[in-house]
Amino acid sequence: MKRGVAALLALAALAWALPAWTPARSEAAARAEVVALQAGTAHLVEGGKVLEGGVTIVVRDGKILAAGKDVAVPPGARVVDYGADAVIVPGLVAANSPYGVGPPSRRTADPGVLAVDNFDPFSSAYLADVAGGVTSAYLAPARGRLISGQGAVVKLAGDDLRRRVVSRSAALQGSVGAEARDVPGYWDPPVPATVEVGLGVAEPQLPRTTMGAIVALTELLEAARSGKEADAYGPGAARELARVLGTGLPWRIDAGTETEIRAILRLAQSERLPLVIDGAERAGELADEIRRAGASAIVEVDVAPNSAGRDFGKGRDDRWPVFDTAARLVRAGVPIAIATEDSVRPRDLRFAAAVASRGGLAADAALRAITLGPAEILGVADRVGSIAPGKDADFAVLNGPPLSAASSVVATWIDGEPVWEVAGSDAPGSKAARSKAIVIEVAELYVGDGEVLRPGQVLMQGGRIAEVGRRVAHPLGAVVVRGPAAMPGMIDAFGHLGLDGSSKAPPTDYKLARVVEPGDRVDRMVARAGVTTVVLTPRGTSSSGTPMMAYKPAGQDLESMVLSDPTALHLAWTHSRNRVESGKDVREVLAKAVEYEKKWKEYEAAIAKWTPPPPEPEARVESAKEEKKPEAGTPPETKDEKKDEKAKGKEKKEPEADPVTGIWEGKLALPPNESEVSLRLRMRLEGKVVTGALRCAQVSEGLVPLGGTFEEGKLALAGLGSRGFVSLSGEPKEGKLEGKLAVGSNEIELKLERTTKDLDEARRPELRREKKPEEKEPKGKPRAPGIDAKLEPLRRAMHGEGAVVVDVDRAVEILDCVKAFEEAGIKPVLYGADEAWKVADALRGRVAGVILTHQVMEVDPRKGLSELRNRFAELALAGIPVAFHSAAEEGASDLPLIAAYAVAQGMSPEGALRALTYDAAAMLAIASRVGRLARGMDGDVLLLDGPPLEPSTSVLRTWVNGEEVR
Amino acid sequence: MPTTTPTPRLALAALTAAALAVSSVAAGAASSGSGELARPAAAEGKLAIKAGKVIPGPGRAAIDGGVILIEGGRITAVGRDVQIPWDATVIDAPDWTAFPGFVEAHTSRGMDRPNENLEVAPFLSVRDSIDPINFYFEDALRWGLTTINVEQGHETVIAGQGIVVKPWGLTVEEMTVKPVAGIKISATPKRTLSGATQAQVLRRAFGDLRRYLEDLVQQKKEGSDRSRREALFQGRELEGEKAKGRAMEGSAWKVEGLERVPRGEIDEKQEPLLALVEGRIPAFVYCGRPSDVRLALEVARENGFLARTTLVVSPVCWKAADEIAEAGVPIVIEGGLVHTERDPFTGKEIETFVPKVFQERGVRFALSASNSTSESLWYQAALATGLGLTREQALAAVTTVPAEILGLGKRVGSLEPGKDGNVLLFSGDPLSVSSWVERVILEGVEVYDRSKDVRMKHLLEGVTPPSTAAMGEEEEVTHEDEGSPPEAGDEKKDEKEPPPKNGGNGGKGGGR
Repeated sequence: MKRGVAALLALAALAWALPAWTPARSEAAARAEVVALQAGTAHLVEGGKVLEGGVTIVVRDGKILAAGKDVAVPPGARVVDYGADAVIVPGLVAANSPYGVGPPSRRTADPGVLAVDNFDPFSSAYLADVAGGVTSAYLAPARGRLISGQGAVVKLAGDDLRRRVVSRSAALQGSVGAEARDVPGYWDPPVPATVEVGLGVAEPQLPRTTMGAIVALTELLEAARSGKEADAYGPGAARELARVLGTGLPWRIDAGTETEIRAILRLAQSERLPLVIDGAERAGELADEIRRAGASAIVEVDVAPNSAGRDFGKGRDDRWPVFDTAARLVRAGVPIAIATEDSVRPRDLRFAAAVASRGGLAADAALRAITLGPAEILGVADRVGSIAPGKDADFAVLNGPPLSAASSVVATWIDGEPVWEVAGSDAPGSKAARSKAIVIEVAELYVGDGEVLRPGQVLMQGGRIAEVGRRVAHPLGAVVVRGPAAMPGMIDAFGHLGLDGSSKAPPTDYKLARVVEPGDRVDRMVARAGVTTVVLTPRGTSSSGTPMMAYKPAGQDLESMVLSDPTALHLAWTHSRNRVESGKDVREVLAKAVEYEKKWKEYEAAIAKWTPPPPEPEARVESAKEEKKPEAGTPPETKDEKKDEKAKGKEKKEPEADPVTGIWEGKLALPPNESEVSLRLRMRLEGKVVTGALRCAQVSEGLVPLGGTFEEGKLALAGLGSRGFVSLSGEPKEGKLEGKLAVGSNEIELKLERTTKDLDEARRPELRREKKPEEKEPKGKPRAPGIDAKLEPLRRAMHGEGAVVVDVDRAVEILDCVKAFEEAGIKPVLYGADEAWKVADALRGRVAGVILTHQVMEVDPRKGLSELRNRFAELALAGIPVAFHSAAEEGASDLPLIAAYAVAQGMSPEGALRALTYDAAAMLAIASRVGRLARGMDGDVLLLDGPPLEPSTSVLRTWVNGEEVR
Repeated sequence: MPTTTPTPRLALAALTAAALAVSSVAAGAASSGSGELARPAAAEGKLAIKAGKVIPGPGRAAIDGGVILIEGGRITAVGRDVQIPWDATVIDAPDWTAFPGFVEAHTSRGMDRPNENLEVAPFLSVRDSIDPINFYFEDALRWGLTTINVEQGHETVIAGQGIVVKPWGLTVEEMTVKPVAGIKISATPKRTLSGATQAQVLRRAFGDLRRYLEDLVQQKKEGSDRSRREALFQGRELEGEKAKGRAMEGSAWKVEGLERVPRGEIDEKQEPLLALVEGRIPAFVYCGRPSDVRLALEVARENGFLARTTLVVSPVCWKAADEIAEAGVPIVIEGGLVHTERDPFTGKEIETFVPKVFQERGVRFALSASNSTSESLWYQAALATGLGLTREQALAAVTTVPAEILGLGKRVGSLEPGKDGNVLLFSGDPLSVSSWVERVILEGVEVYDRSKDVRMKHLLEGVTPPSTAAMGEEEEVTHEDEGSPPEAGDEKKDEKEPPPKNGGNGGKGGGR
């Protein structure tokens, strides 16, 4: 009989050794790859070591090769750097989990039940735990039986199913608790039931008391050791137990009360059982006894509120949570593991360990109790639980100290593969990257409107600032960045970046969004210098004004690049040297604008008075519509933008007529550097003449303006780029363009596709109030005046929704100018304004702000060189908002220097910071999106290595729309 | 229009394992051209089917204007220039397509109830549970299923033995094609059990068998005759083969000295499992979750019946396709062809066309019409073709592959000389939605004619069968307004009494 059993065992072992699993994919190649993980800090747990200041962990074939500060990255290794702020800890080991726990065996002892049979490696239920940094978990076969079976340890993710079972048999799971002493009766109907045999009745099952449980265990042990059966507890229970005893498997026994713990400790001592006390959350008093018995303990911590059913009220049974159990056990020298309760998912394991430290458990001991501690207790410390050469490459990468509530898991690795990473894709520019939460923690946070938080934190989410404060929320998986100081992105109030040298003043209603292009290198450099918003101003002005547009050079796409278009109107008070005519044009424009505004006011008043007639029959509505149509052909003065576009569309969109106009995109590789870059070509066809612009990093630094012809289906364009003459020829057909591109001496085949037929303008939320009358206009309804794109910016300025920037310098003219604008109801932004300081008192409250020219210092001719005046400081002191500007393209990057210089010459740092951020935004009416760190503002943040406006301070990192500019 | 001569049939007494041996001899004889040993069960007459098109089976060229000649229930010739004997009944169907009968590799229908409550009950047989007048069999004819493996349901750890039947006959014996199809095992936990306890029960069943056999051998060594007395007490047969002992034949484990024990003395409750371990009967193992596949294969391997195992899998088991492919076992895909789940990261719905996954890994698979009647095998095959299998692969999955799984590869699944005369006549292509099964010929006997299918006619054309005409008239007479409600209700009840009898008999006469 015994021999048979042994043979069966051998057989079973053999069967398991057979390849029951195949790797899901041929990952052999991927596994052979050497990966080097890098982070700022690593808690090795092995030997209690904590490495700080840059750690490298080398991984191959799912195992750790080396870990340390001075570990060299092997040649050819793939480096995964989580940054200096990241903390790596061993993958957490959950000593308890709700997974796989099924209904228990019907018998009171069934050691043959294997929890591994309950393991579903295909389930995605464990992902939440993996996201919590847990990589291995114990599976209990069942609960509530004297002996309910053998537990297993498994990995919670990974494709190689064979690797995922760490231990098929990690512990013998049992209980002497109340639930194990109340096993229902057992009834096995005989087959067939005959008159002689009868159906029988359910037999009650023992034990019923703690002492009964101890007796039952003793009996079972005795039967197992002597090769007898003890079928009263379960068929084959003793036989199976004998097998388990031979392997030295730990006995993991649930014992909740002190009585139960004492009883099981005595049994373990007398029978020499390797005991693990499960659910020992109140075993603190017995710490020394447990140590003397050589037992270890698993402390389950309440993390779910009131999970212990603490609802007994004013009685003897009231229950209070105990926090110091783990600490007392550790002090006594009992090996422990901290675990979550049966019903709670292990994802909160880290939190449970932090709660347990409340009772005085040291942080390193708490971390050990959720990593190496459980691994040792479960007999899997040779594979998991710490970072040491030869062990499985299971890690949790955190964004802060492992037991801090504010840190969360950024990535989880199992067997050398990242199985979970925050926010999935991390490709720069992707929506996912922008939706990722970023927390910036600094010693000094300059909010922008004068306030400074020490310390301060900013949370960015979905491209916007979600929270600002001394301590902000840390959403799960947030990327945490720490540094000395942070401030809002700076604003260049008057810059040329993006014009690519063009000095032409565009028409008043020109859409500047057409000239900007996302992804430009120079733009990114400017942003990295700290200037995240540039108010793009064409060089030169016209009598009716030129548009200005606030945009973000490092925006990810057109939509997120353009703040508003137009942001402001740029006028010049003086156009020629003839000062007599100063202000003539501006006054004319203002008069028109006032007239225009008056029309709208009248209309608004009329429409307020007007009561709509009762609904008319449909036919009449239609006729009204028809009536309306001829009106749509507006006089040249009144141009409705949308209609204009529509008209353009009609003109250009006829498919055969215009196969050219639109935006074309493609990729090309130019010798000598063969790497593929993208090319973007905008073209507009007018008659046979084609105008356009090409942007491609390998062809030219900036935009290449192109001109040429389109005749008989053939396109020929030419232009001059920074790398030489560029010519393009080809045949556009049905949205595809195949042809040749010559740059200098290189010629290359080109394939482009038309991505859109519209010459796209940035789509943005319409800031203008919708004044368009409804389609079905009943008779008698007041007619809205048309929208005049040229006067609209002025009208918006009258309502405080836009800005008007006026070039004016002399004091007298400044006063005249301000007065003229005052009459029109506009607070202008003065540009230049060399002598504004002289009339500062008169300007207070009458201008939106002043953009001073570069020159910070002014020599007062009346007082000679003896007294230098800082014009910025003068105006700022007088309470007039000022803003810095570059009047340059990449020169915008000098903005922080200009401001620092102003401070060095006596301006208050606070005033200078406001001038760089909030004041600039406010005067240009873009303060609803940029200029301050506040909830709902765009995520434009600079991380600095010192206080802002110190010349020695540099910008460490820049975020635009919540995404880092690299 | 096709003409048929009724053929006399002989009722068959209990068909036992011995009969299977006879039939296999018959198969050999028929193929060698002598036809003397034609089985008594089927028609003795000759039947010739002249079809506009004959599709002999997957992977075979269709024959335009072909003739199928069936003698003694077996196909003797298929081709264009087949000489039709003068005494043969001829079905002339120039517009129709002849196709082999569909083979259902696993179903739990056609029984009064699919599951027994016991956990381990290999001694049960589906034979005792099959209900020949179950509507399922009538429907099976309508949809062209001619060979059906009826197995117990999934809610038992080790269930009883299945049986392969044809959907025609008044008794189970008449219907039987193969008396023991295999033992049904479930790797998915039944209600009240967990995966671990199910596995425990499953493993323990084989452990118990082993210990029982060892005990038996030990008793014999000690000269005890307890097992003999028990066998006599239970009235078991102890003569002939049963009186002899035989050495155990298991490929995974053996009990030495079993030749000392007369086979008749082995407990009937243990015998079927012993037959499984010894490789005498196959197994159908149900896997409802991919994680069950490991247990199923492990148990099959440990007990040496992997080679005779077929997995009955739910669609989600495509995730374990690699393990299944490695084990080399065939499968029956049950409960749909497409598996849908949500990606845990993106929340996107992912659809997987399951047969394709198995096809790519070289796993032999059969489709199963286990959803409902309207999703019968032709539907599954047509759907599979639409979703990415080739026509040949899809057709094989409902004919030749299930036939091989059932060990009937030489008897059913295609139209070849020597095989059973199971022919379907379709009004068009067998995978077309507009085609009907017009006729079903089972072992040379025409058993279904759509033009005489009263239920179908009633459903499609509103034609009331003559036998139920009285019911229709009375329905028209009944006016609820005239009488008080309870009276009307009583009347209706009275009227409805007869139809079940009538319908049952009439349905049999017309539909079967």
